[in-house]
Amino acid sequence: MDEAAIEELELSDAESFEEVQLTAAQVIEMMEEAWVNEKFAPEILPHKMEVVDCLLGQIAYMEENLQSLPSTDFKKSIHQLEVDRLRFLVSSYLRTRLEKIETYVTHILKQEQQRHESKEDLYLSKQELKFAKEIAEALKQNFDGLVSFYPGLPLEEWVSQPVQPNMHSFVFLKSKKDVNEVVIDDGSIATEGESDLVDFREGAQILIAYSSVAGLLKKGDVKLI
Amino acid sequence: MKVSTIWQRQLCYAGQLQQCGDEVEFLGEKQIITVVPTFNSPVLHLISGDVGPFRAGLPTNVPMWLAVQLKQRQQGKIQAPDWMDIDRLTEMKENEKQSQTFTKMPSDHYMVEAKILLDCASDDIPRADEIRTIIKDIWDIRMSKIRTSVNKLIKNADSYAGLDNLTVMEINSIRPILPHALDQIYRIKASKKLRVPSQNSTTFHTSSRPSTSFSS
Repeated sequence: MDEAAIEELELSDAESFEEVQLTAAQVIEMMEEAWVNEKFAPEILPHKMEVVDCLLGQIAYMEENLQSLPSTDFKKSIHQLEVDRLRFLVSSYLRTRLEKIETYVTHILKQEQQRHESKEDLYLSKQELKFAKEIAEALKQNFDGLVSFYPGLPLEEWVSQPVQPNMHSFVFLKSKKDVNEVVIDDGSIATEGESDLVDFREGAQILIAYSSVAGLLKKGDVKLI
Repeated sequence: MKVSTIWQRQLCYAGQLQQCGDEVEFLGEKQIITVVPTFNSPVLHLISGDVGPFRAGLPTNVPMWLAVQLKQRQQGKIQAPDWMDIDRLTEMKENEKQSQTFTKMPSDHYMVEAKILLDCASDDIPRADEIRTIIKDIWDIRMSKIRTSVNKLIKNADSYAGLDNLTVMEINSIRPILPHALDQIYRIKASKKLRVPSQNSTTFHTSSRPSTSFSS
């Protein structure tokens, strides 16, 4: 099982195509970080499906092994407990994303379209994209149905004002490295060079508007807590 | 027991971007704890890493969730982390009282560890009740500091705050109320500058819009 602990993980980030050797423990850590980030970021973040798949692979492998153990073995229940904990982690992560997709479906699809056009990496995984499109379709049908029953409903108004995440909402974060000159977004539109700047030391914990640090978060320089 | 009821009151707000105390606990349960097993077993290959081997009477390091399992099945005794000691805690409490800022805690999850270990293994930890009280005192001192600084933060209408040395559980106790309050301040500031408030209040509007549209 030692070999299984060393997982090859291919990071499909735009910048880094190199293969990275990670232990299963590191994969779990990445999953935890992704989970907390997703939980607290107002918008949907780039998906981490490679981490999810890697962890699910570990879980499946472990469960297969467990089947051969007699149920009286005390080791079995411990392994089972660990598997359940990891399963919770993964499903909670995926559920959080689905909730966001449901809430901001129009907004997210529009952004994905823009990313697709400018050849950027998409934030949603294939299945999530499918889910989002189905939701959007179902919503449209529902609204169309409503309007045919109750003519005169202000449908245009609904369609032109999709629910959007509040990108300025405040988040708690921990800096993973030294970052210099982060522009503080305080709501006022300061002219170039006039806005307040702040430096993050590694390990510093900060409360700040999400819009100031969204880029850093996606780069992995900071994590939300 | 007192501690846990306070947690429930302070932590379980309803709202989307919240993390319940249970989830902070979930993360905290990864902390490594020493147990003295009462059984023998070779190394266990967990996904998160190997633990053991277990030899009856020999202390071994395991993640806290496993330690709790073993304790509950009476397959081991838990050793208190070295900071869970009256003398050290008294010193920490004094430092916390003297210091204007937050002092560094011995563990990022000190409250989670204290709660879980004192709940399930109070018979393994010497002077458990005194420890419980003193940790609760430290928590209270820190919470009152948090309240003072939150007050200052809101009065100054700052757009940024450093929170070094605060543990996750403590941060969680001011969520979501503090970020929400700052969101509102942000909106006020933005609307003052812009004089056209609609741009930053989309989410605010969408929540109240549908009902008004229906009544018209």
